[in-house]
Amino acid sequence: MIEARGITRTYQTYGAFTGARTVHALRGVDFTLPDGGAVSFIGESGCGKTTLGKILTGLESFDGGELVVDGVELSGLKPHQRAKYFRRIQMIHQDPYSALNPTRTIASILGDPLRMRAKETGADATTRRERAAELLTLVGLEPDAVLPKYPHQLSGGQRQRVVVARALTVDPTVLIADEAVSMIDVSMRLGILSLLRDLRARLGISLVFITHDVATARYVGDDGELHVIYRGEVVERGLTDEVILAPVHPYTQCLLSAVPIMRGLEEPGPDRTAPTAALDERAVTPGCLFQPRCPFAQDQCAEKHPVLVPLGDGAGDGSGAGDGAGFAGGEASEHLHACFYPEARRVVGVEVGAASA
Amino acid sequence: MAVTANLAPTGIRAGRRWPALTAFRKAVTRKPGRLIGLIIIVFFVLMGVCGPWFYGRLAVDPNALYAGPSAKHWLGTDFAGSDVLQEVVTGARYVLATAALSAFFTSLFGVTVGLVAGYQRGLTDSVLMRLTDFVLTIPGLPLLIILSTVWSFGSPWEMGLVLGITGWGGVARAVRSQALSLRERGFLEAARGLGLSRRHIIFKEMLPNIAPYATMQLMLSMIAFVGAEVGLFFLGLVPFSSTNWGVMLNQAVFSGGAMETPSALIYLLAPLICILLLTLGIVLFLDAVDELFNPRLRERV
Amino acid sequence: MSEVQVRGLTVEYQTSAGWLPAVADASLDLRAGEITGLVGESGSGKSTLALSLLNAVPAPGRIAAGTIEVAGVGDLTRLGGKQLRKARGGAIGYVFQASQNSLNPLKTIGKQLLDLGRSHEVSDLRGLIARALDLANRMGLDGKRVLDSYQHELSGGMRQRVGIVFALVLNAKVLILDEPTTALDMLSQASVLEIVRKVHDENQLSTLIITHDIGAISEIADRLAVMYGGRIVEDGPLLDVLRRPTHPYTKALIGATARITGDIDAARALPGRPPDLTTVARVGCVFRDRCPFAVAVCAEVEPPLEAWKVGAEEQIGRRRACHVDPSTVLSGTPGTPAAVGEPA
Repeated sequence: MIEARGITRTYQTYGAFTGARTVHALRGVDFTLPDGGAVSFIGESGCGKTTLGKILTGLESFDGGELVVDGVELSGLKPHQRAKYFRRIQMIHQDPYSALNPTRTIASILGDPLRMRAKETGADATTRRERAAELLTLVGLEPDAVLPKYPHQLSGGQRQRVVVARALTVDPTVLIADEAVSMIDVSMRLGILSLLRDLRARLGISLVFITHDVATARYVGDDGELHVIYRGEVVERGLTDEVILAPVHPYTQCLLSAVPIMRGLEEPGPDRTAPTAALDERAVTPGCLFQPRCPFAQDQCAEKHPVLVPLGDGAGDGSGAGDGAGFAGGEASEHLHACFYPEARRVVGVEVGAASA
Repeated sequence: MAVTANLAPTGIRAGRRWPALTAFRKAVTRKPGRLIGLIIIVFFVLMGVCGPWFYGRLAVDPNALYAGPSAKHWLGTDFAGSDVLQEVVTGARYVLATAALSAFFTSLFGVTVGLVAGYQRGLTDSVLMRLTDFVLTIPGLPLLIILSTVWSFGSPWEMGLVLGITGWGGVARAVRSQALSLRERGFLEAARGLGLSRRHIIFKEMLPNIAPYATMQLMLSMIAFVGAEVGLFFLGLVPFSSTNWGVMLNQAVFSGGAMETPSALIYLLAPLICILLLTLGIVLFLDAVDELFNPRLRERV
Repeated sequence: MSEVQVRGLTVEYQTSAGWLPAVADASLDLRAGEITGLVGESGSGKSTLALSLLNAVPAPGRIAAGTIEVAGVGDLTRLGGKQLRKARGGAIGYVFQASQNSLNPLKTIGKQLLDLGRSHEVSDLRGLIARALDLANRMGLDGKRVLDSYQHELSGGMRQRVGIVFALVLNAKVLILDEPTTALDMLSQASVLEIVRKVHDENQLSTLIITHDIGAISEIADRLAVMYGGRIVEDGPLLDVLRRPTHPYTKALIGATARITGDIDAARALPGRPPDLTTVARVGCVFRDRCPFAVAVCAEVEPPLEAWKVGAEEQIGRRRACHVDPSTVLSGTPGTPAAVGEPA
């Protein structure tokens, strides 16, 4: 169980001529990941998704907010005490080509963390070898064929399965999948996605799925929550299918509109839309972060900053009253948004009957 | 101990596992140049190790000063009547041992400091890099001249240690920059995420990836060290406490008058050609190094 | 009218097992005003096919047979030296895979453009710049700013557009894009695809887009060609192919695509792994190992790419290379269960 409350991360960059600049990678992210549950984060590149993944695995620090893992608040702990908790959270990397050491065989890539784990559990060498084979079988690979190979002798999909197996060597309770399928052939993606879904069902592992491709989020976490993140801030969240079918934030609508339509099988949604400008991370926006690119922006959007509120409460003025309102109660099924003018639009493709069958 | 064991991966790997030995054979025989390089290197190593056993103590033939090549003296004799071939062969040990030792110390310090600094970053990095800068600014030549008043440099260990300790700065800087870029690779992030120990990450994950680079550095620095030490003896900056190629060159030029008398030419050329051949051997063999360490290149046909 | 006609193209690579075909007997037309999508998994030979359209197959490979007729240039396989260089860029614009990273980091975009102009002996360099500015502006870039920028100052989507500017600035009539949207996020992908369509329409190009993502290509292409194991296994008008895939591989590929609508459980990953140069079947159908419809003859005879005749007419412009009856593939549901494994 992971609970994040108001995680923020800012970077200071110093340019020779531009002077100091503050980059807000994360501006207060809240979420709850129940045991065996799934949470997806979607957003375009440069919106803080990867920073979030690194913070959750302890590879990056955060400078505000609380991260509670299994009831323990981590920012109060010393680094070596934290390590134990972060070990339970393992990352599946985006690029299966760089995530495996090219100079080592799969046997040693899996063997080392297993040996380390064995010191804690007291397992002997035979059990270790069996465990390696068991893990490879679990991720859908043939142990005897794969163990003596080097990473470059495997296909992208196979490598990603090895990466998953390696993450499982330390018996984690949470997996963070950061763009886990974006560099794999489309034909192999569903295999990895169903593997991740399988792991949730069979091992009770919970999953944080970070992606820019909303369609893939459906396949691992259709029962989980979807968070739409923009410039370090969650602008809409709710049950995955609910957000996909009836998004209310214009940014979500733009993201969903960008998903290609399988013509012949689908027709574009009636309200398909697109941002009016490209992402500029340096834009100064006192009001809504998305206002400069929003196709539906109005005067108020440039002045006031909308906060997450439950749908139907009417963000209205979005004045101070919104403080933390979205988090009160902690009910996970609520549909929240940060827009002054929420309006559900049908932007995703519509299936054309059952023409293909 | 772990450090030293890891610094010589070719030998250890090749000896322990047959596949590695096959890979070595394949990589070397792929191109004739590599094989020639290896043969030259092995030839000189044998000369350095076994050469002195053949000749024992230096014999001087007072009846033949500056004799030309003959059946008895294949490369003739020098101004004192010593056999030139004998001097070349017995001189090889000191030159090669010194070069090998200094290259070994250079890699040991350079690679370790570079890897640790690149991996740790922060304060450790700053401290190690200031130390590196300090080493880089030590003027090696004057130091050797001063030290020669204390030490005779009769043993290769002394010379090797001094050359090695003053020479690792460049390697450390280069390895550090490699380590910094390696650190951002996914598999190192994964290793940290898994909680593997620092020692494991540095020596088992990072070292194999920079091994071809480090080995090339090591072999190239050997060439440089051969040049440096021979130069020191040639200039007469350190006492002549042993027979070696540098001493031969010095005596050929300054005592033998090789610049004037053609009869001393062989005496001058013999060590020069040895140095040239050794350099050639190393350069030719370097070509195979990348393939030896990179499993991907190794199997490509 | 075909701008490019590929006939019987075979490209071989030298391996330890001798010369093996990466592309075998491929025939393909790129018609004026049409966007053709060439879809296949990695190792299917799609990039090799595209590179051979420049007669630029890399070192251990060679074009072993076939012709590539380009309108106004002739048979590209017979050209060499200067003529070939002129044809590349001049007649055929190519946007390389990962073209986001194929710009020189030490020179501004403008300088690289001038280099391109000089190497093609363009006399009117001002005209070249003007045309590049025009192209860039029409793609939604600030042309002048872009020409003064270095590669690192541009985002992934912007670099991809710069790649297209470079490909078209010499008035090429054929545009080839190799994986133009890989490594881009959804929003950039959507805008790049839209721009390709726009540039294509405005310049009446013949465009070939190579991709592994059948979803992305279906958004903008007119025709679809599906490649597997070095063979084109099915092609035809895109809408028709997507609605009625008659090759088991096409059908499986469509079914394996993660989509935002439809039943999640209906989607099936492709079983097995795609073949490479050394593992591809030498005899019989290349797809039979992964094919749920395979019959005995598939192991013995390689199916030729033939027109799909509905009744007596063959006007629909569809071709397929499969022994199994089209209606069986269309109606039948693959017999294999959802296999998640990829046996090594």
